[in-house]
Amino acid sequence: MEHSSIPSTQPTAIEKVIAFIDERVGLKQMQAKMLNEPVPGGSRWAYVFGSVLLFIFIMQALTGILLMFYYVPTADHAYASTQYIIHDVDYGWFLLSYHFWGSTAMVVCVFAHMSQVFLWGAYKSPREMIWLVGLALFGIVMGFGFTGYLLPWDQRAYWATTVGVEIMDKTPLLGDFMARFLKGGPTPGQMTLSRFFVIHVMILPAALMGLAGLHLFLFRAAGPAGPFRGTPEEIKAKTDYFFPRQIWKDIVGMAVVFASICALAFWEPVVLLEEATPDPGDYHPEPEWYFLFLFQLLRLKIFAGEFGQFLGAIALPGAFMALLAALPFIDRDPERNIFKRPVALIGWIVVMVTILLFTVSAIINREFLD
Amino acid sequence: MTMQPKLKSRVRCTDREIGEVTKVVVDPLSHEISHIVVSMNGSGERQVAMGHVQAVTDSLVELRAPSSDILALPPFKRDDYVTTHEVEIAHLEEKVHVTPGEVLVPFPELEKSVKRRTFFMNFTHAIGFLIGLPIAFPILRYLMKPMYQPFDNGWLKIGNVGKIKQDDIGVQFKYKKKVKEAYMPESEIEKNVWILKATPAVLEKVYQGKDMEFRDAAGKTVWTNKKDMPYVAFSGKCPHLGCGYKWRQHKVLGQVFLCPCHLSIYDAAGKVLDGPAPRPLDALPIKVSAGGDVEIIDMEFKAGTKSQIRII
Repeated sequence: MEHSSIPSTQPTAIEKVIAFIDERVGLKQMQAKMLNEPVPGGSRWAYVFGSVLLFIFIMQALTGILLMFYYVPTADHAYASTQYIIHDVDYGWFLLSYHFWGSTAMVVCVFAHMSQVFLWGAYKSPREMIWLVGLALFGIVMGFGFTGYLLPWDQRAYWATTVGVEIMDKTPLLGDFMARFLKGGPTPGQMTLSRFFVIHVMILPAALMGLAGLHLFLFRAAGPAGPFRGTPEEIKAKTDYFFPRQIWKDIVGMAVVFASICALAFWEPVVLLEEATPDPGDYHPEPEWYFLFLFQLLRLKIFAGEFGQFLGAIALPGAFMALLAALPFIDRDPERNIFKRPVALIGWIVVMVTILLFTVSAIINREFLD
Repeated sequence: MTMQPKLKSRVRCTDREIGEVTKVVVDPLSHEISHIVVSMNGSGERQVAMGHVQAVTDSLVELRAPSSDILALPPFKRDDYVTTHEVEIAHLEEKVHVTPGEVLVPFPELEKSVKRRTFFMNFTHAIGFLIGLPIAFPILRYLMKPMYQPFDNGWLKIGNVGKIKQDDIGVQFKYKKKVKEAYMPESEIEKNVWILKATPAVLEKVYQGKDMEFRDAAGKTVWTNKKDMPYVAFSGKCPHLGCGYKWRQHKVLGQVFLCPCHLSIYDAAGKVLDGPAPRPLDALPIKVSAGGDVEIIDMEFKAGTKSQIRII
């Protein structure tokens, strides 16, 4: 009778299973470690981009896998199989368009994420390695974009690849080898499609998963940087855990991105151009919008000729990336407040305005061509 | 650096010993110990700020307050805290040494006699290298298989010059070329060249008074365009970055070849008038029969280089 006075509820079957696993792998401690990470200065909307990028990637992987159920990566079937996905497979148009707009969302969020880290001064010591791995991830995202749009094998695909690989060809010493290696021959064809396909669906996803894991590991090892303003007492007073407030903001961010991608997929579904062929017909080749500024840059007279082209297509972007990589080692001032870092603030504005101006002028140029 | 209080250290006030350290509280931002929790010899636990601590030795924490002051502190509230196992605070264990002593496990008997650990480590690397090395070259050759191909110097019929109505005007000739790639069935790809019936002035600009020779991979001449033959064929590939260009009316420059990609502009003779192109349009081997049928050798040259480098 003593026992019945204690409200001893028997564990349910699910609780037993969870207890069984927990006993063996330390599930609850793992969950606690994942969720109970102090966010110095408290959760913020500005911190959502990392989680949102992870979400976008998972959705790209999911939609990408689904597309492969029908897509055939051969020069004589790629175009037809993509058209089949768009026109005949139930919701094929939606999944393909989601994948397409998802890549755009990825690039937008990468820009936002990098800008946030840059403006917050979060790349500084001891977070240099997170920044470096982040730059590699940025390269992988660009690689995804570049290899992805060859796959439908339409005119846009063909010409963007032709020009893109010709640009790579301008790399000193290794350029010719790299370009031929990527094309699998002297000009784009079946071998190019096969190679881009393998890179897009195997090599880049594996690289991204590994590096994103490393990125997170390094982030956890260093801890979040927190806000750049406030005394330690103020920051401590506002500190909360990753769960629930930051996760709540993250999931809202994901929902907004998901809804936006769905809306774009719905209102601007992917439409293929003519099938790829070395005769462009009336098509005016143009890369995806996030490469437009580079494309417009190469129209400039100062980047004319063989050397100018090397300067504009290889040296300038290469130097910019090298500068970004060297940034945490050059900028050793522990000051993180962006309003006390005039060079960094002006630099960021200049880069953003330049990209915007070149992109807009590329769009204006379109009208003169038609 | 001052010593950190250890778990199970005795705690002594100015008047007497009051108990031992049962827990330490760490500041998550500074990683410093902010409080110790003292078991009051059976009368509950008190949370004592490090400010109260006078000195720390190996097994003793001395406080600067009398025991009555410490007893007067509110009882320690365990629910206000989480253990460091339940929260992710980076580098905490490097800063905080609160373990009562070293935790040891016996070194296995078999390991004690192993002398040459470095040798075994290097040996492991060497064997790994011997596994990797023999497959590196086959992998490289495997991937390089389609990269370099012999040139095709065959003539292709592409149409009749009858459709050219005016001199010095670019006329596009579209044609289909059969390609056989690797295992793929033979297929046709669409290509194009621009042909013009050139006046002597334009011919002079194209050929500069010399016949134009075309060579195969070995450097042997496969064809010569005579400098006075009026029909000139330009490869449809823009020498800037390989797009397809058009014959267009330009506001200032009149009728020109214009590439819509990076806006390279060439005159009827293929000379660069404006834009980023590094060299003139590429003239191709051409022959025109008495009946006006045009044949070309479908050559392609690398884009973006000052000199012509043949790739097909």
